[in-house]
Amino acid sequence: MSPDLAVVVAAVALPFVAAALTPLVFRLFGETTGFVGTVVSLASFGLLATQYGTEGSVSLEWISSLNIALQFYVDGWALLFAMLATGIGALVFTYSPAYMHGQAGLPRYYAALLAFMGSIVGVALAADLVAVFLFWELTSLCSFVLIGYYTADDSSQYAARMAMFITVGGGLFLLVGLLLLSIVAGDVLGPGAAFDLATMLENPETMSNALRERGLFLPVLGLLAIGAGTKSAQVPVHFWLPNAMAAPTPVSAFLHSATMVKVGVYFIGRVRPMLVGEEWLFLFATLGLTTMTVCAIMAVAATDIKELLAYSTASHLGLMVAGFGFTSVYGAETGVFHLLNHALFKAALFLVAGIIAHEAGTREIRELGGLRHDLPVTAAITGVVALSMAGIPPFNGFYSKELLFEAAVEASHHHEIGLLGWLYPAVAVFGSIFTVLYSLKFLSLFFGERPEALGHVHRPNVSLLVPPAVLALLAAAVSVDPQRAVDLIVQSGLEATAVDPHAMHVGLPTSYSTPVGMSAVTIGAGVLAYPAYGRIHDGIRAGLAAVPPIRANWWYDRIVEGLTDEGRLFAEWVHNGHLRTYATWTLAATCALALTGFVAAGAIVPATIGLEVTIPIALVLLVAVVGAVAVARADSHIAGILTLSILGFMIAIFYILASAPDLALTQLVVETLVLVIFLLVVEEIPERYEIEVGRVARDAVLSVAVGVTVFVTILVTTDARPDGPTEIARAYAERAVPGGGGTNIVNVTLVDFRGFDTLGELAVIALASISILTLIVMRGRGDASPAGDDGSPADSSGDGPTAADASTDGGPSGGEDA
Amino acid sequence: MTAIVLAAAVGALFALGTFLLLRRDLIRVVWGLAIISQAANVYLLAMGGIAPATADSVPVLAGHGDHVPETADPLVQALVLTAIVIGFGMTAFALVLSYRVYEEHDTLDVTELGDRK
Repeated sequence: MSPDLAVVVAAVALPFVAAALTPLVFRLFGETTGFVGTVVSLASFGLLATQYGTEGSVSLEWISSLNIALQFYVDGWALLFAMLATGIGALVFTYSPAYMHGQAGLPRYYAALLAFMGSIVGVALAADLVAVFLFWELTSLCSFVLIGYYTADDSSQYAARMAMFITVGGGLFLLVGLLLLSIVAGDVLGPGAAFDLATMLENPETMSNALRERGLFLPVLGLLAIGAGTKSAQVPVHFWLPNAMAAPTPVSAFLHSATMVKVGVYFIGRVRPMLVGEEWLFLFATLGLTTMTVCAIMAVAATDIKELLAYSTASHLGLMVAGFGFTSVYGAETGVFHLLNHALFKAALFLVAGIIAHEAGTREIRELGGLRHDLPVTAAITGVVALSMAGIPPFNGFYSKELLFEAAVEASHHHEIGLLGWLYPAVAVFGSIFTVLYSLKFLSLFFGERPEALGHVHRPNVSLLVPPAVLALLAAAVSVDPQRAVDLIVQSGLEATAVDPHAMHVGLPTSYSTPVGMSAVTIGAGVLAYPAYGRIHDGIRAGLAAVPPIRANWWYDRIVEGLTDEGRLFAEWVHNGHLRTYATWTLAATCALALTGFVAAGAIVPATIGLEVTIPIALVLLVAVVGAVAVARADSHIAGILTLSILGFMIAIFYILASAPDLALTQLVVETLVLVIFLLVVEEIPERYEIEVGRVARDAVLSVAVGVTVFVTILVTTDARPDGPTEIARAYAERAVPGGGGTNIVNVTLVDFRGFDTLGELAVIALASISILTLIVMRGRGDASPAGDDGSPADSSGDGPTAADASTDGGPSGGEDA
Repeated sequence: MTAIVLAAAVGALFALGTFLLLRRDLIRVVWGLAIISQAANVYLLAMGGIAPATADSVPVLAGHGDHVPETADPLVQALVLTAIVIGFGMTAFALVLSYRVYEEHDTLDVTELGDRK
């Protein structure tokens, strides 16, 4: 069954439309706008649900000349991700009104949240590479707005900039990777498929072989990995995610645990059938397991509940990346199933953290404890989801963790990877022990002694409780009957991401196997080590404090600070307020670029030079140059103006000799007017302006460079010009009489064929005249105002009108000549 | 005689214009601009091919007859005509602006003007 275009487009567009209407809706509903968001999310969810079971692509024409269509591809994997986003979106919108009560800027908050949801559905469904990239960057943009929601808070702004810098920067790597893919696809699959991800995925073998043949396999893999890794907070750029916790908690639950950060994982799963191989295993299994372990350790060192959850999220993202990294079918099972499980338990945990922060007024771990008396329902929810996060059987997190162990063990059976065959499972177990530790720590907030310092804890509003409860119930449902969840949801996702999918089975183990033993070790070690949690926590913190460069954040700060300082210095150097500095940089850069371009293109060849110049033209040009030399050497303003006129009149004669009488006429009129205006102005300023000469040598070098560049450019370009009149010139000549009713082709062109251009030109002249008039008339009035500074002589105001008359005469008459 | 003459002339005009553009006297900067725009016009016209002036090469048709001779490129000429007029507008504006700057600040030294914050 193929999907329905209208329904798919509606599901993507609905959140965007709602985002655009948010300011209006907010006026009507005020703070309850969140529930409108719930309705929009549910509508989008419902639309997507009707497509359940369909597979195929639908497209909407966009830029047909470039073969870019707004194309959507629907399959189990895309639907899983899109429905996860809209489903959790509905819960977060329900949660928001109570949590964000009384905050300023709520329209912005809801609009960004809605736009984000639309982008994420777009990323999930887009089958066109350009659309994928656009939606991908849109999610980063929305995330930036939402992390920086508290605009008055510096740390929030810092975090927002950091997230933007890292994720958008990574997105640029992705863009290059996608372009390389599209070039190869255009070659082997035909130009129609150049941007079509769906077609590429239908021919994974062809694409993979073509990439290898061209030596682009590793570059593409690396670029896509950087894009996905930055988005999904993989080591070493994981640090933006804990900082992103400056956002309001519902945002953290939605963007920074359940959806946006999973876009990278989602995309890795998407392209997996095309790029999977030994390099893939090394790259993603290593990256994922490193992230999983490092971030789990950092989570144990966290002092704030949201920080703990943030590192834990990065760690679990590492688990998913590692899962997809293993090339066996278990790897794909891990990735898809854990994506679902993690969304269920981690979003719930963030919402619980929001409840704790909202009701207890603190997020410090050591200030919290014994909350089960105050928050019994929340405690029950946390019980389910925290144990699921720890991977304790029979909770749902256990099944996907078990699959990871199985995939890690299997890795050595599929590839010759030597020692890594042992290292991968060992690291997976080691990282998981820390997962158990911090999960138990989070759970312990509800048990044990209630600290004295903890004040009164309010009962949460029911709209705060329902969303995490729904998620916990779903997690419980998956825990009780994992096979049903697999059949309903995971299986179809697996088929899209695995190379050799088969019917997937999960369940509690009934006999001993290596993965079961690994799980037992993990849980046993975690529980045994838990009493020493305080010492482990202090130990890690002490280690981090002793060696700051071990933290990636330290490097980020150093680099950003360094760049900022360098940038400031550079700006002072280049942008110092002096005209000559700007002119020097601009001209030198233009010359360098032009000459480099010619050399790189091999355009400078000693070719035959076909453009002939008669002796009179050469003489006229010579006189013009001599005039220009005289201008440059003039020691008074009057001398300069007169010699400048020689140059202008010589150029007029050049136009006559070059068969351009209209140009000659215009040039003569303009030259006369310029001379008059110059003379009028020069009357008002000192005749001689003695300024110390300064850096003549340096200026001469630059001038010669410009001259040489122009010389070369003219030789190269006139040489490349096609012989004979161009087609358009022919057409204008032939149509002048029948089309324009005039024999002067240039005139007909100006007033008839290109009439609008001439209108624009007249507008420029009119604008110049008005500006000149304003400059002079305002001068007379300006004397009375405080603007008349440092005692400019008052008598000059009497001369103003003279110049005004001249220029108003000059302006329009110049225009008429055209 | 070949395009080298034209290229050398326009190159020299650009070089002199650049040199003037880098002076500290604002009026000289305006001259520099004027010279560069004149030189650019010559270059544009040359790109259309320079046809020695004859009765046929001027892009003005002899009559309303059917015969259309091969003339110099009229399109480039129309373009340059526009450029001349706009260049004039720019020069006039720059000049009056310089005059106004002198009235306001009592100096035409761009370096001194740039140093004022």
